[in-house]
Amino acid sequence: MNSEYWQLIGQGTLMTLWLTATSAVLSLLIGTLIGVLRMTPVVLLRTLAINYTEFFRNIPLLTVLFFIYFGLPNTGLRLDAVTGAIWGLGLYTAAYVAEVIRAGLGTVSKGNTEAARSLGLSFFQTLRYVQLPQALRAAIPPLGTLLIALLKNTSLASTITVPELLYQAGFVGDRTFNPNILLIAGAIYIGLTLPTGALVNMVERRWAIKR
Amino acid sequence: MMEAVPRARPAASERDTLSIPLQVAGALLFVLLIPIAFGMRWENFQPLLQPSALRFLSIGVLVTLIVALVAIGLSLPLATALALGRLAKYALIRWPCIGFIEVVRSLPLLLLIFYVNLRIPGLGLFEGLNTGAGYLSLVLTPILARAGLAVTLALTIYTAAVNAELLRAGILSLERGQYEAARSLGLSYWQAMRLVILPQAFRLIVAPLIAQFTILLKDTSLGAIIGFIELQRRAQILYQRDFNPMEALFLVALIYFVLNYLLGLSSRVVERRR
Repeated sequence: MNSEYWQLIGQGTLMTLWLTATSAVLSLLIGTLIGVLRMTPVVLLRTLAINYTEFFRNIPLLTVLFFIYFGLPNTGLRLDAVTGAIWGLGLYTAAYVAEVIRAGLGTVSKGNTEAARSLGLSFFQTLRYVQLPQALRAAIPPLGTLLIALLKNTSLASTITVPELLYQAGFVGDRTFNPNILLIAGAIYIGLTLPTGALVNMVERRWAIKR
Repeated sequence: MMEAVPRARPAASERDTLSIPLQVAGALLFVLLIPIAFGMRWENFQPLLQPSALRFLSIGVLVTLIVALVAIGLSLPLATALALGRLAKYALIRWPCIGFIEVVRSLPLLLLIFYVNLRIPGLGLFEGLNTGAGYLSLVLTPILARAGLAVTLALTIYTAAVNAELLRAGILSLERGQYEAARSLGLSYWQAMRLVILPQAFRLIVAPLIAQFTILLKDTSLGAIIGFIELQRRAQILYQRDFNPMEALFLVALIYFVLNYLLGLSSRVVERRR
């Protein structure tokens, strides 16, 4: 295979990593916010947060990406493919993150929260210093699963012309009439997910709450 | 393309459930907020709500549902075989199962669909077999076409690999005494599995299993990319005719939402009955 083609595959791999990293950060931020909103006493905010998770968990990511890339220009909001993919992946994954954060907040014992409140901490202080640190640490293993799923989901960005790994592999495959290039891309995906899994295990061992 | 994350059950006092009317009102509010937020226009919804367009989409709904159900039905026995294979005593059975599960689980589903579509021979076997113009044959034609079979096969393989891991976790969480007691009562390995171990393991993993099936139903939309004419693809065809991508995709998202919501409801019913 031509070295030019290898270069394309390399660029695609880097793009996949970039998409994964940025949308992971985005989804963690939005997901935490929504997970917290699900616990607020304000009914309206809670309702919206619940419906956000239910909505995004029940519609295909492909529809979200198409909506952003082909639909939004009608409102005058024209995102380029990479930005659109990051927002689509971020918003979609945020719904799953919110579920995980909520479950994590559920593991914080009631006594902890009550103690914090009776010490005079406000709702937000309790959240910031007592509940979230524990919840996030409890959420590390499922968040790792989500990270790996996100890494695999970035492949859908190829459908809205983001030149990531699967896109480049398909391109090279079409140029060389050799669909086995997909196997190389598959090997690279495995090479990315397995170390990510190992990394998550390491982080978990380092940060998990010892009981 | 996600994997179901088993939910930890929150304490009763912190459960954020809403009463049913509030739930429905909230869902309606949310559904109304999206078109308003994105400035969707009622004129753009109208071509989608004509009888011909609705019939066109309804064929897509049936195609999506049938493919999802077939893939679910085929993946269950395969997942069971893979899970038992991974737990087998013999390395000759165990290692191929471990390899298969881990490799398939690490691949993006889209890549798997592309590869199956390009490389598996015989997928076009039924192509052109069904040429009627009746409603039912319009439903069956895309399913029997090459792309339809490729998507079904890829979804089956992927879901089987993911569910094999779920089932293995379910089996391992049973007490070892269950298996030993079954064996010492004189049941063979297969009898012990069929009568004692598997029924209990399946009951433990109902919720994540159905969550995985929700994901499968959503992932049928990936077929649109290789020319499988299901719901998502039909929405694309419609908005390319009417130039209303936002409204068409939103409507389809709502249809997927309802389908998955019903599937999720079935999980709650099954959970309550056990």
